[in-house]
Amino acid sequence: MQNGAQENQPSIISTVPTTDNTTGSLPHTKRGRRFIPLATRCLLGILFLSGFLCSMLPWGRAFVRSTVLLPALISAQEPAPLQLMGEPIRHTQTTLPFQDGTVYLDIYAPTTPVPLLPHARNGVLILPGIGDQRQDPQLVNLSQSLARAGIVTFDMTTDTLLNNDVAAEDSDGVVQAFQALAHWPGLAGQHLGLMSFSAGVPLICFAAADPRIRDDVAYVTAFGGYFNTANALKIVGRRAMMVDGKQVPWQPVPYTLQVLSNVVTRTFSFDEQTRIRAVFAPGGTPLSSLQIAQLSPGARAAYQLLMGSEPDKVDANMAVLPPAVHAELADLSPSRVINEIRAPIFLLHDRNDAFLPFSESRDFAAALTRIHHEHDYVEFHIFDHVEVKSNLQLAQLLTDGSHLFSVLNRVLQLNS
Amino acid sequence: MFFLSLLWLLIGLLIGGLTWMARCSPPSWRRFVWLRMLVLGAVVALAAGWLGVLLAGHFFATALALWVTVFCMVVLPRGTRWLHMHLHIKKV
Repeated sequence: MQNGAQENQPSIISTVPTTDNTTGSLPHTKRGRRFIPLATRCLLGILFLSGFLCSMLPWGRAFVRSTVLLPALISAQEPAPLQLMGEPIRHTQTTLPFQDGTVYLDIYAPTTPVPLLPHARNGVLILPGIGDQRQDPQLVNLSQSLARAGIVTFDMTTDTLLNNDVAAEDSDGVVQAFQALAHWPGLAGQHLGLMSFSAGVPLICFAAADPRIRDDVAYVTAFGGYFNTANALKIVGRRAMMVDGKQVPWQPVPYTLQVLSNVVTRTFSFDEQTRIRAVFAPGGTPLSSLQIAQLSPGARAAYQLLMGSEPDKVDANMAVLPPAVHAELADLSPSRVINEIRAPIFLLHDRNDAFLPFSESRDFAAALTRIHHEHDYVEFHIFDHVEVKSNLQLAQLLTDGSHLFSVLNRVLQLNS
Repeated sequence: MFFLSLLWLLIGLLIGGLTWMARCSPPSWRRFVWLRMLVLGAVVALAAGWLGVLLAGHFFATALALWVTVFCMVVLPRGTRWLHMHLHIKKV
């Protein structure tokens, strides 16, 4: 019987050449006989530890999520392991009323019952910015990937945002959507995330500062946003921004001008509003000298700022803008609420962003540093505004990928 | 879920093989030790995977199945042996 047991144990002796049975082969065999069980025990220990850390500890869970989500973000498609090991998910659409309109929600959530371990399921509210982004493949991919990783994802928009405009009043809609997320099964009592892109950033900042939810926000992630609307308008007017004390040329895309024209002309007369907005709408043509001369001083200043036709007179044109426009610009600036936000803020911006200048996110980070607010700021080169570029170089991918992983890991740790 | 179950079975077979190589099998097992360890590993991993879904959801179930299977495969044989000896001594 003992021989039978030995036969069933791993044959170590057989791996040693029997023809060279010198005196030196015996200790070598003994070493091998001890080495294999020891090595496999070490391997089992590593497997045990890695499995335990990755499933039971918050930072381990955040690490696993980041590891799986990073390829999904960079390649803009769900990787096979995420599809295989992730949660089965369902996409639903719903609406919510708020004081100034309707919130349109696209919900991506796991279909499985809520896990028994706390924090195995989280939630994040995403505000993808201005315009109708709901069908954008990269947003859908991000939302689906997060949901597969056990993070219930609410993508929200409002009528104002769908009309290529932004209004501070919509922050109430963000609060309503956040509260709806907080009532999702399995998320009660948890701190949840707020994420926004581009010109949606001020709205989530206002919501994160709102006393109704500010203690329940785990983090605020602002990607490709701005800090102060008046400063952003000045940069547009100069067609240049200040970077490390030097003036650097910056050319905005037409869409930025279209949105800014909607914001700046809101308090103008209907005639002036229509005329200026038509210039910056797709297919619009610049006003003639006569038409410009017919505008009121405030409207003329706004037009010159948007056209970038008087870069040397930006400060003078800003001074001529009506007080209502200045109030509107101040109202739409995240700078006015940073002292009231309690959650850590993560700022991300691409250095070549032509929608919003990255100097705005730098200013945001500098202001947070001044008030000692927990934050992180990362600059990238792999994005086209807020979408991953295609055909990226490996070196750039590795550098920016590691930065993105670091931020993702920190963000996910806050509610894992 | 079918593919996940297959993955857990595969992980179980791997861990069963490793625990056999690590000589963690019960000394009372005399015949087909390697086969018994593989089967035990597969069964434990499958059960751990399903338990993982219940406790941590699909996404973390595989990681949970990994450590639970290693734990069970190392502890169970020794535990049953200890229990067997303990009961045997009591009877004597």
